[in-house]
Amino acid sequence: MNSIESLYPDYDVLALQDEWDATTRQIVNQRLGPFEFKLLSTWQQDMLKAIARQLAYEHREEVLTWIAAHVDQKLGSSQGEAERRPGVPPQKELILAGLEALEQWAKAKFFKGFLSIKEEQQLEYLQLLEVGGLPQDGGWSVEKQKELFKKLAGLIISAHYSHPWVWSEIGYGGPAYPRGYVRVELGLTDPWEPKPARLS
Amino acid sequence: MQHNCDHYNGERYPHLHKRKYGGQEADAVIVGLGAAGGVLLYELAKAGFQVVGIEAGPFWDPQSDFASDELHAQSLAWNDTRLSTGSDALQFGANNSGRGVGGGTVHFTGVFYRFHESDFRVRSLDGAGEDWPISYQDLEPHYTKIEQDIKVSGPKEFPWGPFRGPFPYPERNPISGNAEIFRRGCQVLGIRSTVAPLAILSAPFAGRPPCINRGFCNQGCLPNAKFSTLVHHVPKAIALGAEVLSDCLVTRILVDKQGRVTGVEFNHDGKYYEQKAKLVIVSAFAVETPRLLLNSACSQYPQGLANSSGLVGKYLMPHSGHDVYARFDQEIRLYKGTPVLAVSQDFYETDPSRGFIRGFSLHAHGSRPLGMAVKAATNAGIWGRNLREIMLHWNFYARITLVGEVLPEIKNCITLSEEKDEYGLPRAQVHFTYGENDQKLIAYGVQKCKEILEAAGGKDPFVVPDSAHLMGGCRMGKDPNSSVVNEFCQSHDIPNLYICDASVFVTSGAANPTETVMALASRTAEQIVKTRGR
Repeated sequence: MNSIESLYPDYDVLALQDEWDATTRQIVNQRLGPFEFKLLSTWQQDMLKAIARQLAYEHREEVLTWIAAHVDQKLGSSQGEAERRPGVPPQKELILAGLEALEQWAKAKFFKGFLSIKEEQQLEYLQLLEVGGLPQDGGWSVEKQKELFKKLAGLIISAHYSHPWVWSEIGYGGPAYPRGYVRVELGLTDPWEPKPARLS
Repeated sequence: MQHNCDHYNGERYPHLHKRKYGGQEADAVIVGLGAAGGVLLYELAKAGFQVVGIEAGPFWDPQSDFASDELHAQSLAWNDTRLSTGSDALQFGANNSGRGVGGGTVHFTGVFYRFHESDFRVRSLDGAGEDWPISYQDLEPHYTKIEQDIKVSGPKEFPWGPFRGPFPYPERNPISGNAEIFRRGCQVLGIRSTVAPLAILSAPFAGRPPCINRGFCNQGCLPNAKFSTLVHHVPKAIALGAEVLSDCLVTRILVDKQGRVTGVEFNHDGKYYEQKAKLVIVSAFAVETPRLLLNSACSQYPQGLANSSGLVGKYLMPHSGHDVYARFDQEIRLYKGTPVLAVSQDFYETDPSRGFIRGFSLHAHGSRPLGMAVKAATNAGIWGRNLREIMLHWNFYARITLVGEVLPEIKNCITLSEEKDEYGLPRAQVHFTYGENDQKLIAYGVQKCKEILEAAGGKDPFVVPDSAHLMGGCRMGKDPNSSVVNEFCQSHDIPNLYICDASVFVTSGAANPTETVMALASRTAEQIVKTRGR
């Protein structure tokens, strides 16, 4: 039951794209790259990929690059961030400063940068960040740490579950316009929907 | 994508050089074209009013602006930053706030409920909150009218509240696997459930097809099977003579020396314009409506417009909207079908034996991957390997969502912050903390969800805290000292200023608010036509 393997190993949602509307097809295919980064430096991209490895439990370089590209696009956008705690800087400033802070915290403890410490140690840092348990110097209050974690998790997880390879793995039928779903009742599937290769 | 910004008489312009009512005083200007604004625009245009609707966001074209994609659909939300405080600080954006013509109706689930009689009398019945200045009977004809206007689908017999059906259109059939599981669990426990009443077509109407069960109600309906004021009221209003300005953000309500409102100032593409009008109707939803009133403070009204009571922005309420998931031995496939296809209101009314007042609705609630995974990570601390493992089995999960009543408290409010937006206007700061009754209700409701899922065969239930909808902030009432508008949504302080949207709610009810918002708008329009008709 507690497997991290796909139950739908032979399913490829992208093979269905001729059935999708043109707008959706274009949006989804852009997630396969190539990507043009406008804001993030190579180091910042690598930091985000390292964080995404832990938060999304994702190890494929292509998917991680899409996640970093999504963050790059969001942080470079003039659109608002819906909500923010007062006293916490705007998302872009918070995240860019947060990447730097993670680097400094790692250096202070392990004498190497965040990207050079072990993955278990990176995971531990993120677990501490989630509850505001990292050192508070430099203005990193408990609340600000928690907000940084929330913003990172929101951006990273939303990008991860928007990647069509991930849709395939989880057995998501995906975009279904214009054809829709005909057989929606319990136990029924349309002929083109994924079927589990084995029981969960 | 380039959108046009001026729409009337079958013409659309990408500029404001050929305005219909630009150079004159219109009969009415409406700020915000969502659930309320769309109805008001239509009803006033139908009555022959020269009416201008001004919407901050675009005039969406579903075929090119909407996609079958959750990430893309984030752009349909009101994403302008609000500062959010309190122990249960609210999330905004797609969670509750729409942007563009249609407003929240573009991304609502389509669940279409009337409030119950008790919702209007919470102070009298339960000794908390406040009574509305109107009763269910005052809204009843408007509920019926709205349901007929848009052909709400629903069961022949609805077991709760004063209206027991039938609905204009037959109930949706078939229902999704998730809805079947919900109904099965309810049946085992002796809880009544029905197919959901929905503003989603079960048969063709007005050139629009029935639902194809694509599942993307919250991302914008592509086939136009789901009602929105974007596809229903606003185009009809334009055909009846209304002018619609989109991508135009109202920055200020204008006031003359006598203290009456004279119109609005708005910004389009960096330039400021004015629209004069005999009446100003603010329908900008629970955060932006109070914000605009407060930001329109002037020498005549230094505390903001309509605010002699000091209650503009006060008594804001969400619904508690916790999601409960459980895993099954068979595939449920949460992504298939209209998200909410089965409901129960068996816990709607106060039951003293539960230890709290008021109640909740329960919804079998489908999901797409992003909606489930992101909230799990940000609201429930489920991420990393744990989240990946759950999501690899997500087809085996069912979900029930709570719509819990939240009692009004004065400390839950919208104020102006020190921080300014790109127009130089103070951002809204929103404070929210659940009260003790709200917390007890949530605990009880979540437990019921777990029991229903387990009765249907679900295992290992887990909870993702969430909220939905916003109500209050400019509540209605009889007494100008304890409310902002009267029973017709007319401001107590300024007779030609109306506030008509979810912000006038006195209590939150335990039902999705859209139908009540639209019924209030219909009633307000009727009163305006009666008293100021041409």
